[in-house]
Amino acid sequence: MIIAVSKTPLSTPFYIAKAINSFDDTCVRVKYEQVIGGKSAFDKVMSGEVDFGTSSDSVIAFQSLTTPSFVSHAMFVQSDNDVKLITHSADNIKSALDLKGKKVGVTQGTASEYLLSTLLAIEGLTMADVKLYYDKPPQLLQAFSRDEVDAIVSWEPFVFQLLQGLDKKIKIHDTKSLSTLSFNLISQTADSQGVEKAKCVIQGLQTAIHYIASHPQAAKKIVIDELNLDPAFIDWVWPDYIFKLGLNQSLILNIRSQALWVVETQMRVSNSAPNSLRFVDSRALLQVDPGAVDIPLQIFPGK
Amino acid sequence: MKISLQQHIYFFTLSTGLLFTVLVGSILWSTQVVEVALEREQYANKVENHTNILKQLLINEDIYASDYNTDNWLVLDRKFNELLRRNPSLTPEQQTIQNSIESQNKNVQRLFNTINKNQLKNADEKIKKHLKTRLITQLEAIRSDTIQLSSIVQKDIANVIKQQIIFILSILALSLFILVYGAVKLVKIFSTSLNEVKTAFEKNRSGNFQKIQLSNQSEEFNGIANAFNNMNKELSETTISLESMTKIVAERTQVLEQLSNTDPLTKVANRRALFERGNDEFSRVQRSKNPLAVILLDCDLFKNINDQFGHLFGDEILKNICKVCTEEIRSIDFFARYGGEEFIIILPDSGVNAAVETAHRIQHALADHCITYEGEDIFVTVSIGICTVNDQHIDFENLIKDADLAMYQAKENGRNRIEVFGDSIVD
Repeated sequence: MIIAVSKTPLSTPFYIAKAINSFDDTCVRVKYEQVIGGKSAFDKVMSGEVDFGTSSDSVIAFQSLTTPSFVSHAMFVQSDNDVKLITHSADNIKSALDLKGKKVGVTQGTASEYLLSTLLAIEGLTMADVKLYYDKPPQLLQAFSRDEVDAIVSWEPFVFQLLQGLDKKIKIHDTKSLSTLSFNLISQTADSQGVEKAKCVIQGLQTAIHYIASHPQAAKKIVIDELNLDPAFIDWVWPDYIFKLGLNQSLILNIRSQALWVVETQMRVSNSAPNSLRFVDSRALLQVDPGAVDIPLQIFPGK
Repeated sequence: MKISLQQHIYFFTLSTGLLFTVLVGSILWSTQVVEVALEREQYANKVENHTNILKQLLINEDIYASDYNTDNWLVLDRKFNELLRRNPSLTPEQQTIQNSIESQNKNVQRLFNTINKNQLKNADEKIKKHLKTRLITQLEAIRSDTIQLSSIVQKDIANVIKQQIIFILSILALSLFILVYGAVKLVKIFSTSLNEVKTAFEKNRSGNFQKIQLSNQSEEFNGIANAFNNMNKELSETTISLESMTKIVAERTQVLEQLSNTDPLTKVANRRALFERGNDEFSRVQRSKNPLAVILLDCDLFKNINDQFGHLFGDEILKNICKVCTEEIRSIDFFARYGGEEFIIILPDSGVNAAVETAHRIQHALADHCITYEGEDIFVTVSIGICTVNDQHIDFENLIKDADLAMYQAKENGRNRIEVFGDSIVD
């Protein structure tokens, strides 16, 4: 079984699970395929290249408008400081208001696109008020380094890499209140076999998450080694991460509100936001940790 | 290793005491754990209630209104922060949820501040509505976390109670086992050892001095067994059986009786034995009216023999007379030394004629059996008095007295003669 794992410290439970062999005690043999960003993981899941992927709630919100046949089995991490707006210090951009007319790099269909839209909206602007430059994070970093864009909205660890690699001074804007995101285990709409597989993966993740809670230092070291990261970076972002399994009402509300926002701001063409409850499947998590499930009762076909 | 019964009892008591102490400790510990868990659950409920209040406030009030007063919110939020700061001690798993709640709460605060910063003067209704929804979503996330915290705590309580029940039952089972095992073992040691000691005593009674071999070793019974074995060892060395003792006493009594009834010089019955037998025979004659005769012999001129040949030779003469008389009498007759050189023969069922015949045989035998002294044959004679029982005799002594008179008659009549009392027979 293959899981597309986004190359970010948010995927820590997967790295820990592998390092402490927590999948050995479950019913699946797991292989990882490393990808850049939850959108890539999502695409691989939907193309059938992989069985599961790791994607943020923003990706789920965007995809819920166009792709009906996928579900999140569990949220396994949340962070309030992962996606950031970066500008050149020299440009003296104080708020999103100053972005009007500027060229801003984002990754389409991800939390970065969502964050940019809300930052602009707070200042009474829309996406149309800026010149959008869509690309994947590494390419955005290059474009920003070469001054091809005035600002980028990206996530860790790319922001930290930029901070380390760039000679010029940059400004990281405080977007904490708006940049909360969660990472989820997703798959195509699951039949009972798929649920069984998801259960096995979640069991491994649960073991890993317990390990992170009880051995935080060892867990940090595993991630540093796995992603070849600067320990200073992990120390920087670690307090923002909360690793725990959950599938709750707030996730559904969050997906729904983001999807609604996407529709309302006409970032995607859609008549209305779909029922977000369709995109979560609590059957696997209910078997592993029923206390972590707090959503209305779901009825699945064939049950 | 030998352990005393006392140590056994101490050991069992201490073991059981220790187990009960562990049990009490464990109950106290679990009470503490459940108390902490209940405190955590109470905390989770308080947080949930407070979150609901904040949510309700957001839903009910228009936070974008120009005249919106943030005081209510700020008071509630301050209280909420205070509540979160005074969180109880949590397990790592629970702490993760607490961290999540705190993080979500910071987001709520930041988002509320962002919204209230000049009431988003540039923003349109869509983003205002979206941000308000986001604020409610954040609070909903806190509520979900509190529900998860409650669920973990309840699971913990259930686990503690389950563990405790298993632990208490295990300890009780172990204590019961130790008590039963201890009781059975002690009873076994007691009953087996007491039986073995009892058996040993019974064997001792029958003179079989055996060692106690204890099947179960214990200091106390080993002490008793050692003392008993030592006593038995000494007894077996110094004690003889009653049977042997009776036999020995009988043998010794017989020897003593023989000694008391025998004349030391001639080894024939003495005067004491003579009267004992004589009285018996006299009594029997009184009942049966059978005849009874007594022969009294006196060595003639015995004083001269002593004077001439010495006392030792005189003794030999006496022994010779005894030898001859013993050979010449019947088996039912009784021969005894009466005193000095006088001898008496009791002849049951014999009349005068039989007695005279016997006396004659003795006279002849003595004549045939002389004793040599320094190459010279020395012949001795005896004067014999015979008396048979008649109505005049009142006892045996009376009978002897008459025989003695007859013997003196023989002496007077010239020695080496036989005289019968009341007769005038002269040989």
